[in-house]
Amino acid sequence: MHISAELESRIDEAITHYPVSKRSAVMTLLHLIQENLGFISDESVTWVARKLGLEPVNVLEVVSFYPMYRRKPAGKKHIRVCRTLSCAMAGGYELKDAICKTAHIHSHDHGDHGDPVSASADGEYSVEFVECLASCGSAPVAMVDDRFYENVKQSDIVELLKGQRGSDATLPRVRPPHPKEKRLVFANIDKENWTPDIECYARHGGYGDLKKALTMPRATIVDEVKKSGLRGRGGAGFPCGVKWGFIKPDEKKPVYLICNADESEPGTFKDRYIIHQDPHQLIEGMVISAFAVGSHLAYIYIRGEFPEGAQILERALAEARAQNFLGQNILGSGFDLDIFVHRGAGAYICGEETGLIESLEGKRAYPRIKPPYFPAVLGLYMCPTIVNNVETLCDVKHIVHLGGEAFAKIGRPNNTGTRILCVSGDVQRPGYYEVEVGSVTMGELINDICGGMKPGRKLKAVIPGGSSAKVMRAGEKYKIKQKQADGTMADAEITLEDVPMDFDTLAAVGSMAGSGGVIVMDDSRDMVETLNNINEFYAHESCGQCTPCREGSLWMKKITDRMLEGGGVATDPAQLVKIGDNIAGRTICAFGEACSWPTQSFVAKFREEFEARAKKPTPPPMPPEYTSEELIENATIAATPGARDQGVQAAAATK
Amino acid sequence: MLNVQIDGVWMQFPRGTRLIEACAQANKFVPRYCYHAKLSSPGNCRMCLIEMGMPKMGPDRNPVLGADGKPEIAWIPRPQISCAQDVAEGMAVRTDSPMVRDCRNGVMEFLLINHPLDCPICDQAGECRLQEFSVDHGTGNSRFLEHKVKKPKNVEIGPRVTLDAERCILCTRCIRFMQEVAHDDVLGIVDRGSHSTIACHSDRKLDSNYSLNTVDICPVGALTSEDFRFKMRVWFLKETKSFCTSCATGCNTVIGSRENTIYRQTPRENNEVNSAWMCDYGRLNFHYLHSRDRLIEPVVAGVSDPGHREVATWKSAIARAAGALKKFRGDEIAIIASGRMTNEELWLTKKLAEALGTTLHDIVPHFAEGDDILLSSDRNPNTRGAQLLGITGAIPGEHLGAIADGAHSGKIKALLVLGEDAVDAGIATDLLKIESLIAANILPNATTKLATVLLPGSGFAEKRGSMINAKGRLQRLNSSINPPGNARDDWEILRDLILALNGNNGIYMIEDVFKQMAASVPQLANLSLSKIGDLGVQLDLSTTSEK
Repeated sequence: MHISAELESRIDEAITHYPVSKRSAVMTLLHLIQENLGFISDESVTWVARKLGLEPVNVLEVVSFYPMYRRKPAGKKHIRVCRTLSCAMAGGYELKDAICKTAHIHSHDHGDHGDPVSASADGEYSVEFVECLASCGSAPVAMVDDRFYENVKQSDIVELLKGQRGSDATLPRVRPPHPKEKRLVFANIDKENWTPDIECYARHGGYGDLKKALTMPRATIVDEVKKSGLRGRGGAGFPCGVKWGFIKPDEKKPVYLICNADESEPGTFKDRYIIHQDPHQLIEGMVISAFAVGSHLAYIYIRGEFPEGAQILERALAEARAQNFLGQNILGSGFDLDIFVHRGAGAYICGEETGLIESLEGKRAYPRIKPPYFPAVLGLYMCPTIVNNVETLCDVKHIVHLGGEAFAKIGRPNNTGTRILCVSGDVQRPGYYEVEVGSVTMGELINDICGGMKPGRKLKAVIPGGSSAKVMRAGEKYKIKQKQADGTMADAEITLEDVPMDFDTLAAVGSMAGSGGVIVMDDSRDMVETLNNINEFYAHESCGQCTPCREGSLWMKKITDRMLEGGGVATDPAQLVKIGDNIAGRTICAFGEACSWPTQSFVAKFREEFEARAKKPTPPPMPPEYTSEELIENATIAATPGARDQGVQAAAATK
Repeated sequence: MLNVQIDGVWMQFPRGTRLIEACAQANKFVPRYCYHAKLSSPGNCRMCLIEMGMPKMGPDRNPVLGADGKPEIAWIPRPQISCAQDVAEGMAVRTDSPMVRDCRNGVMEFLLINHPLDCPICDQAGECRLQEFSVDHGTGNSRFLEHKVKKPKNVEIGPRVTLDAERCILCTRCIRFMQEVAHDDVLGIVDRGSHSTIACHSDRKLDSNYSLNTVDICPVGALTSEDFRFKMRVWFLKETKSFCTSCATGCNTVIGSRENTIYRQTPRENNEVNSAWMCDYGRLNFHYLHSRDRLIEPVVAGVSDPGHREVATWKSAIARAAGALKKFRGDEIAIIASGRMTNEELWLTKKLAEALGTTLHDIVPHFAEGDDILLSSDRNPNTRGAQLLGITGAIPGEHLGAIADGAHSGKIKALLVLGEDAVDAGIATDLLKIESLIAANILPNATTKLATVLLPGSGFAEKRGSMINAKGRLQRLNSSINPPGNARDDWEILRDLILALNGNNGIYMIEDVFKQMAASVPQLANLSLSKIGDLGVQLDLSTTSEK
């Protein structure tokens, strides 16, 4: 292992991004080392530990937690293929097989835990299945090293492997919005002549709202956000102003602001475009928000699978710093703020705010128990911390621009503003659509905005808010309370197509608006297979900290695996539901619900499909786990338990 | 005091009481794996889920009172962990509702699906929390039809600790202990999800002097002691409360023995001494009691041939010793005693010195590197006792030089060496000049080999008696096993010597020794062996140091 002087100086610079705790730099250092040396050796682990004054095990814990860190070399070109639901529905598995064939890679089972990378014999190429790359609307997607490719067809593979095609992530594109859209946050996305640099942003009035905000009292900005009724866009829908209100105006400890750009809920792909095409909107929103909550140090936690996004943000931050929109005494206001980009490394759980905070502290992303570790009280470095989603922070800019009351008039009461709906799956025109919250119904979204189902296909099911939201079945009727013209509430029965896309109605019909990721499935889809794909995602992404989710998520996946292989037994559907019941509500974080709601809802709503796959009265005999030869070959499992016993050792010595 | 309702009964607890402890105090034990009273609470095992509620608040911000005049409770619909929260005014919990039982049964099932269920060959059997809580929360048959997750087994994670990762339930007690108590952050979790495994980095091992505490607090059979594993089923062990005599800290212990053999020593909670921990050095320092070299018979030098050694009866050995000592004046006799002797033994040594008319006595100091956790640099467990009882002064061992000089010059003609080797006191070849060398010990050394009378004594686990630790705490040893062969309790040996010298004695039991000592040592006034109790008594020794 050789760390060049150039690399070490980059490492030293990166450490300065974490003035409070050097430990926070662990992930950044590991990224730098992997980029330069190809993988992270045991030696590198020790080196990083020494550099940061840590025990080597602290670094090893991190390396082995985040799937993006490799402990073995990959091929010269490393290809990541998205495995998760929307891509799988669009042929992700077939794509990976075709890549393996073209690149002469003997792929071992995609499920091989701990060593997911398969390389070609000549070392030129390696391939790996990864979980959701957050571009479900352009499935299937893949990455070749840091370059990102959308709608990858098998005919594209040769060109991709040659490395001649530029990345789709930075490809300028123009796409006019649908007439039913109301573009606010996405106003500049796919706009003609729009570039992500600060000049373009400034030309269009950029940072004007920051100038306005810096003249306002902080409490007024918080009040405006409260008045706006803005609810968090990350998934939970918590009122943003209330969250900010938890920070005491006279707080003595440092306050941190974190932008959650770990977009990773399968079906969701909105933050990606803001970061790639309009980074200054996010930065402006963040500076305003940091000013409002009194934070002088902020981080953008961007998922590791957005390497280009991280570079774009770095560039944008440098531009903003150069023009004093960041740094000391911003625009003469006396307000200081710096923002740094922190890259994740492929762990879904970092989208959970306390997991994200642990990750930003340079640890495994284990969510914290609440109480006592509410981020607004004991967050980053045990200081008050606000964690907001990318879209939410962008909305703040628009609230300052429009005023809280005007913003609240967009959308519906308690469901204000716009929402970027990310539609993927079996529709004619998947993609992102920004609409007023609740202004379109599910039917309008699918049939009108997205152009309806594929020819000859009928709607079967919709997951309305990212893969953890409970599935809705076509033809279902929901009883809800609806507001009448005279203001009274009355019972009404609506169909799936009638459901307006807002927070409250989706909750009332037993699902959730979540992160806005709508996954549509047509009548060609097998629901057991679909659930199995989702289960595999959650089993892979469970952090393993608390018992129910750690053990239950993998158990559910093993059951649906077995059902697909023809070994389903009659008790399986009920057992799946029981496992889900034993997880949901009993875990440290909301991942428990996220991994059990799909199972609970799929089995309940498509029971006949599950029962059809679960007919055997008794379980089939299990294949042997290891042959005796494999047991001996397998160095990690002692072939003779108790081999250290003197008797066994003596017997072995006489052989 | 805060009012807390536990299973329908209102009780009072002081502020700062953990909810899980409050439940235990109310006799509503809540099962737990990851929670340990001495460590931080990660809340990861989810076994201690309970139903919790707070008083319903009316519009006037006062609690709404029910028909019984007590506050009505607004129950939180989701179960809560009880290990990470302190009690609060008006809090209510249900520890045994259908929801709580369902939660625990569910967690129990999850913990067992990937567990190897190898209880018949597991060392933890009998003291395993999985076994224990399975009785209440387990089912008779498994619903798990899949292959279990494979993990490393029989891993030498440290020189004294073995890991079976398949048995591990990832409660992280061991990791937290190493971070928070041992200050050696050597353990961590590698991998993720159901494949998570406790591990060390290849550069480091779990080789801390406190590593075996991780075995104690491991609630399952994942971490086992290399020293103890496969030696004895724990339910056969007789448990004796005692304390460790390997240094001046005196960590409280439980000695586990069966049929006169000690199999292990584990720490016993005493917040005034050792919290709930002890060091590996002290813990494992008992095997010498079972040494084949133990001295088991009194031995005397031949009358006609002083080079010859022969086994004697206790009666004749004591008579020989007394007869030999009587020949000399007080200033021709010296005593080398030990800081490993009990107060009772030291008291009788003092009485013996008085009977012999000698004032030349001291203990042999044993110092080695200590740490800032538990291990004291003073490896004598009872230096403070020897000081209090006047066997040594403020600087232990300061009279040894005088004794060595006396031996060298031939002034000292008789020397008693009790539990030590005179070589350690600076007397080597000069030992041959001593006319009467009387030694009491449990293992042979240079002194015992030359002794004209050798009196075999008892080890710390073979006798009762008291000692005073470095902080001035009086603690009591209890006898766990019998001394081997014809070896005898040391206080009896000393009493018999005194008896043979001047017949002036009224001591029949060790309690009598303590009574006599307490009557004349003001710091021990009103105490008795039984009053010391299992947790010891703090003495006020502020006046003794200038003695």
